[in-house]
Amino acid sequence: MMGGGQPVIVLNQNTRRESGRKVQLQNINAGKMIADVIRTCLGPRSMLKMLMDPMGGIVMTSDGNAILREITVQHPAAKHMIEIARTQDEEVGDGTTSVVILAGEMLAVAEQFLDAKMHPIIIIQAYRQALEDALELLNSDEFSMKVDLDDEQKMVEVIRSCVGTKFLGQYGDMACRIAMEAVKIITVETGNTVEIDVKKWARIEKIPGGRIEDCCVLDGLMFNKDVTHPSMRRRIEKPRLILVDCPLEYKKGESQTNVEITGETDFSKMLELEEEHVRAQCADIIALKPDLVITEKGVSDLAQHFLSKANISVIRRVKKSDNNRISRASGATIINRTEELKEEDVGTGVGLFEIKKIGDEYFTFLTGCTNPKACTLLLRGPSKDLLNEVERNLHDALFVARNMRLSPAVVAGGGAIEMALSHALQEKAKSVSGIKQWPYTALAQALEVIPRTLAQNCGGNIIRLLTSLRAKHAAGEKTFGVNGETGELCDMKELRIWEPLAVKQQVYKTAVETAVMLLRIDDIVSGSKKMKEESGAGAMPTDESMMQ
Amino acid sequence: VGLDKMIVDDVGDVTVTNDGATILKLLEVEHPAARVLVELAQLQDEEVGDGTTSVVIIAAELLKAADELVKQKIHPTSIIAGYKLACKEACRYIQNNLTISTDDLGKDCIVAAARTTMSSKVISVDSEFFGQMVVDAAMAVRVSDGKGGYKYPIKAVNILKAHGRSARESVLIDGYALNCTIASHAMKKKVIGAKIACLDFSLQKEKMKLGIQILLSDPTKLEAIRQREADITKERVQKILKAGANVVLTTGGIDDLCLKYFVEADAIAVRRCKKVDLKRIAKATGATLLTTLCNLEGEEVFEVSSLGEAAEVTQERICDDELILIKRPAARSAASIILRGPNDFYCDEMERSIHDALCVVRRVMESNSVVVGGGAVEAALSVYLENFATTLSSREQLAIAAFAESLLVIPSTLVINAARDATELVPKLRSFHHSSQVKAEHEKLKYYGLDLMEGTVRDNREAGVFEPGISKIKQLKFATEAAITILRIDDMIRLDPEQKEESHYQKARQQGML
Repeated sequence: MMGGGQPVIVLNQNTRRESGRKVQLQNINAGKMIADVIRTCLGPRSMLKMLMDPMGGIVMTSDGNAILREITVQHPAAKHMIEIARTQDEEVGDGTTSVVILAGEMLAVAEQFLDAKMHPIIIIQAYRQALEDALELLNSDEFSMKVDLDDEQKMVEVIRSCVGTKFLGQYGDMACRIAMEAVKIITVETGNTVEIDVKKWARIEKIPGGRIEDCCVLDGLMFNKDVTHPSMRRRIEKPRLILVDCPLEYKKGESQTNVEITGETDFSKMLELEEEHVRAQCADIIALKPDLVITEKGVSDLAQHFLSKANISVIRRVKKSDNNRISRASGATIINRTEELKEEDVGTGVGLFEIKKIGDEYFTFLTGCTNPKACTLLLRGPSKDLLNEVERNLHDALFVARNMRLSPAVVAGGGAIEMALSHALQEKAKSVSGIKQWPYTALAQALEVIPRTLAQNCGGNIIRLLTSLRAKHAAGEKTFGVNGETGELCDMKELRIWEPLAVKQQVYKTAVETAVMLLRIDDIVSGSKKMKEESGAGAMPTDESMMQ
Repeated sequence: VGLDKMIVDDVGDVTVTNDGATILKLLEVEHPAARVLVELAQLQDEEVGDGTTSVVIIAAELLKAADELVKQKIHPTSIIAGYKLACKEACRYIQNNLTISTDDLGKDCIVAAARTTMSSKVISVDSEFFGQMVVDAAMAVRVSDGKGGYKYPIKAVNILKAHGRSARESVLIDGYALNCTIASHAMKKKVIGAKIACLDFSLQKEKMKLGIQILLSDPTKLEAIRQREADITKERVQKILKAGANVVLTTGGIDDLCLKYFVEADAIAVRRCKKVDLKRIAKATGATLLTTLCNLEGEEVFEVSSLGEAAEVTQERICDDELILIKRPAARSAASIILRGPNDFYCDEMERSIHDALCVVRRVMESNSVVVGGGAVEAALSVYLENFATTLSSREQLAIAAFAESLLVIPSTLVINAARDATELVPKLRSFHHSSQVKAEHEKLKYYGLDLMEGTVRDNREAGVFEPGISKIKQLKFATEAAITILRIDDMIRLDPEQKEESHYQKARQQGML
């Protein structure tokens, strides 16, 4: 520091510090590595990955986010890349693979400029500018088109292109139908705002067994519970439903209360009181003549007895989230104190209550709801791992359907939009002044990675395909892309492959911003606080000696 | 146009930043003298909020220069005296000659100052967008200090981070954003003309304090106690609702049994809010944060006067989360910034940058004066101090000259970081400032600073590159002080950890002496 003779130790010696060009190249490589991991998961000819976690569990998936979540990486820049897949998943649900591949490619094309000693800031500026232009282009009518929400045909096409790239692709029609229906059910329009909360109101229930074709959306709910007593009715049409979230059994007060019993009779009196309490609760419920009582907590044998005598079926220990869904689907209010039960609190929206035995377990079905607003997606399939993958696929499809409702605009899929943007940006690059032009053009070319990967994954002739695709776009045919099935060039309009604009926008934004962030880094300091171990080791013997 | 550092700690958590104070805090610096510099950065961060990197660079350069002087057998005390004098002169010169009042420049200069600090940060490309946002936020939380001036408690600007979307889609909310969700889905998502009650206690079944027992002799009373427990809370809720509250925020929990009453009264209830948040909300809406409902008479009442008001309370979905937004509070305006970005690291760094920018805006608005950035001040000071040094005939002359030389490290670092030629630009800059100080007709040239994008020298006053004057003065003062502290040291005694003792003991024991 002060230029003394011997080296002065300033930093903790355990820290490793790397800086300069090496770090930049390292970051770029880390980004490319992560992109390579999931490169084969893009497009209709995508492959599944099988991942084993430390506990021995298996995940089989082609979902970018699910793969990256499972792998543990060391390099900090790689962690960045993994984070963006998560962001993409949470924000729009689909496009997790594309975003990582694109970000990796954008980093890769920056490498040549760093080699040419270009300042990262200049590259960054060019990237940001290109992003702005790209987003502007995307919003223009030439590239995107509005979709009429009532045009079911079109909606199905969009969802199909999303599902088409996944495992569920073979069952495309069914998946589209499920996603469409589910989203339609849970959509709530209040005034001019549309609320679609997939996470909360659409539950995906997986039951191994059966065929994948048996998957369906219930116009109501299903959960893994049985009535508490075998003698209770298992099938009720148009049940009157009461939801409670208190236990139907005696519960002590919160405060600590001790009772000093003086007389002998007092003890039995106390027990009687407890019984009386349960009896009163049940009487309150029975007074409303329900057919079905569902509680989040326990039900004592005594209460069961009273209720079953009144011909009421009881289901206990339902999850809070399930109870909320039931409440929404049936129109019942969740009640905490039975004294306050009112006629309005009884739900009558359910058409049929039925308990079915599927496989080895009993499942409660509440179907035929008049105005469900919440639903269960029932998935069937040969194995649990497969069902998990189907769930992830459907989750993506649900998100796509949701995005379509919220912002009904689509762009051409199959790499067509990337190609068109790339072409338009390269044209624009000619008007960019100074050396910024180079990275600007590079970013435009980086977009071509999507059609290229598509072609690669289906074993097409990449070079011939890309050049002819470029030629098509230069001629102004903006909807031409790669047919991911055959690896041929075709018009996406004819093939009917569309992707939601919201997803694409998010992909570009996230990819560019991540690339920018990683390019800005010129120093990595890692590993510290290792000292503790040493001092701990030093202290150990003394402890032992004390023991002796 | 600086670059970022990536810091990985032992757990593997990653921080990406270019904020000097943050970097140094995360680095585990061991050398005692180096620690002084780290603390220096932290001090600057607390005092001004910006310029943490510059202060460390200047201090280090001052030490380097001092080292040269010491080698020439100049006693450190002379150097210290010289540095002190130079620092004093420099501050005086900044205040008298270099500051520009914001009144002369108009409102735009505040935004410009915010943009200047952001230009080196991750959000540099969107600095215009964020600059405006930061200034709006600072204006929103402005409070009069009663003496005609204003204070800007920037801590009142609530910054929330949510990944997703892009940086451009960050929003400034006129009101307060709360990272909580409503207690029950059956409640309304939107209340217009909200009356807000802020509670610092739980709306749960009343429970005796620990250690208090109730002894009953009549078993029938047991049921009554149970009943009462539930009723106490119910009564409380009803008192609050009766006072007209339709938004209830509490730091504690809300039992499911109470939710129904809120739902029936069309009110929003939010549980487990943070206390700091509630305090600010209470301030902004004019509500009182109640810790109990008891009044002096020992009865439980809920005064209507302790309700706060806001135009609108809504729950909105952002990314995967839901936020409660309290819009347009009645008593005082508040501001919240919701930052969006591709991942959490990015958002963290954005938050730091926004914080710096807010600090700068506050300083500019409080002091009403700015200086020109882009190395202009340092170059001017360097020229001035060199001239000043020649007027002195004492030994301090050398030290002051060294001080002047050291200041040039700022423009030259700027130039190098922008990948330009420092040997070409810095002398050019100096010559401009020299002529501005020597010839009266070239006075305007004192605003000349670096243009790092183009790699030229330009009038930074025109270009709108400003920094708060106070930041520069503090930087110089802190850097000089730190340098002096270190210069004063001529001996270092390191106390070895006491482990030695133990090993002696062990050795002795092993040798059978014990």
